[in-house]
Amino acid sequence: MLIIAILLIPFVLSVLSLFIRKEKALGIINALGYGLLLGICGLFTKNFLLDLRPLSLWGWLYVDSLSAFFMLTTAVVAFAASIYSIGYIHAEIEENRISLRKAAGYFHLFNLFCFTMLLVPMLNNLALVWIAIEMTTLVSAFLVGFHNIKESIEAAWKYIIICSVGITFALLGIIFFYYTSSAHAGIKSLEWVKMISGAHFFDPKIVKIALLFIFVGYGTKAGFAPMHNWLPDAHSQALSPISGLLSGVLLKISLYAILRFVILANFSIGYAFSAKLFVIFGLCSLAIAAGFILVQKDLKRLLAYHSVEHMGIICVGLGFGAAGGAYAALFHVFNHALTKAFMFFCAGNAVRVYRTNNMNKMQGMMQLMPFAGIAIFLGAFALGGLPPFSIFISEVLILIAGFVSKQYFVAASMFLFLAVAFAGLVHHISKIALGSKPQKMERQKEALSTKIALLFLGVFILGLGLKIPQSFFILLNSCQKLILGQ
Amino acid sequence: MVLMFLLSGFLITAFLMTIAKRITALIRTFRLQSLFLFFYTLSMAIAQKHIEFFIVSVLILILKVGIIPYILTRIVRRINVEENLELLVNPQLSLLIALLLTYFSYLFTYHIMPFGMSLESAVFVVSIAIICIGFFIMVSRMKALSQVLGLLTMENGIFLAATAITGGMPFFVEIAFFFDIFVFVIIIEVFVYKVNHLFTHIDISKMKSLKG
Repeated sequence: MLIIAILLIPFVLSVLSLFIRKEKALGIINALGYGLLLGICGLFTKNFLLDLRPLSLWGWLYVDSLSAFFMLTTAVVAFAASIYSIGYIHAEIEENRISLRKAAGYFHLFNLFCFTMLLVPMLNNLALVWIAIEMTTLVSAFLVGFHNIKESIEAAWKYIIICSVGITFALLGIIFFYYTSSAHAGIKSLEWVKMISGAHFFDPKIVKIALLFIFVGYGTKAGFAPMHNWLPDAHSQALSPISGLLSGVLLKISLYAILRFVILANFSIGYAFSAKLFVIFGLCSLAIAAGFILVQKDLKRLLAYHSVEHMGIICVGLGFGAAGGAYAALFHVFNHALTKAFMFFCAGNAVRVYRTNNMNKMQGMMQLMPFAGIAIFLGAFALGGLPPFSIFISEVLILIAGFVSKQYFVAASMFLFLAVAFAGLVHHISKIALGSKPQKMERQKEALSTKIALLFLGVFILGLGLKIPQSFFILLNSCQKLILGQ
Repeated sequence: MVLMFLLSGFLITAFLMTIAKRITALIRTFRLQSLFLFFYTLSMAIAQKHIEFFIVSVLILILKVGIIPYILTRIVRRINVEENLELLVNPQLSLLIALLLTYFSYLFTYHIMPFGMSLESAVFVVSIAIICIGFFIMVSRMKALSQVLGLLTMENGIFLAATAITGGMPFFVEIAFFFDIFVFVIIIEVFVYKVNHLFTHIDISKMKSLKG
């Protein structure tokens, strides 16, 4: 029943937001709701970890460790974003950038968006997963184009069209899977539980073609280069709490869909083919993103390209799957989700105060906003992968997996791109954070909600860097077993 | 016999789309293609005597022949869009590319997919060709609406592929797809109005503020 509660909370909140006309009250109710959701999600995962038995409800919902992991990631980031939204939306209204009515609309869409994202990992039917992912695009397009100015509408248009085309290719992949499942295994259904039972009989050739379409299709939505060109636009134009959700969670939700098909394909063609695809897309993303990070002028685009880079790291990690890379890659999914949301929240404050996205015009953030300034400075190191932060651990684990599986070239080039991206990031962010503030600007008061959101994420980022809790370890391990088909 | 007629109908409408110079012509051809899709599913329904197929074909008639082209023409009427499509590739070359794409689909089907020489594989060739041509329309036409039509054409092709090689997806999955297409078109309508309002045109090649 906990599962139903997880779906019900965002739904109820989205309806509530249509009736309450006070942005602060609405924001606080929203944050409380997501606090509850995170609690329920935690409780669910705890119960789930007792026996790790997949849970199936009426044939519609199916939750195994992979779903539980992605739900947990979504819940954590959504909770942080809902806290951050209180202060963010309040400030937007005070500065007359949006109206009260639009603020209510924001919370409505926020909840619908979270609802669709939480729904994806729970669904049993792979076609419904496809539809839920398409719905995440359609709902979040409104959040990308929220300000109704030229740039944001252009970004939203690109986002809808490119992601819809991508996902249409994924649909073709699904149809190929359905074809081989009905023709060779005799299963006329797209339900995960049924398909997996006959997955041994799938035709290897068709499965390979289908996987290619799945990778290109869902990969577009997951921000793999070279299909990534919508990503920096959409992620930089969205409101900052939403940018955090888009970069932190939505990309991973499509990765989840890819993983589902990889697991299905394992039974007939093994993991090697998927691993190869992961490595190709991963290296491509790393290379392209590293170049754009170096020359970037726009703060939020910088972070968006960094998401492409981190999707590349995750892919390379999955490519090293057999040697513990899958474990490290999933750990990186969690770490990147939290750290990227953290950085987007800091960047949101910076963009609001400086009234520009251009990094050359930002300076002395530490003097202007001590809390967010220090946070963005530390966050840059966390995102770049320095100890003692959690991303360091997952990146090192991925590199070790690469060396263990003797893929020296891939691991070495990943290390090189990481170094380039780290240098670019720290160079840009330190220029923003350090130095003296512009003379005509005064020290800003920082909203309490921002501080809470950043602290909440910061505790995780630092804590996971120091020690991985036993239960989290078990969850990730069980996911790794699932992905590798052991 | 009927099937062959319908298949050539699909291909001809797809080719017509690549040489259409005006948006209204594009919408009309899309409607015609959807009508062929309706007849195709109807013939499947009659052959298999399955109530679910009848429902699906009626839904195609309502949604793809009726509502979606209606919404698209309404958009064209409301925003007074210049009808010219501003082709990046001229019609003759477009047609040539479409032919090449069809040949490519033929090669793909007979050399890669293990269907053998059957009727299904003929349908499959056509559906892959339509998907490719839809994609080609998306990347080579510079109007927002033509991108939408390209995408809808791709979806027609995918629908055809699904019925050709699998004998139709599970019933409620198809219903869900229809729902998805419907929502997609509604949301696209909202955004086309917004684009038109802000840019005073719906020309994608002139959207250039986001770069790098």
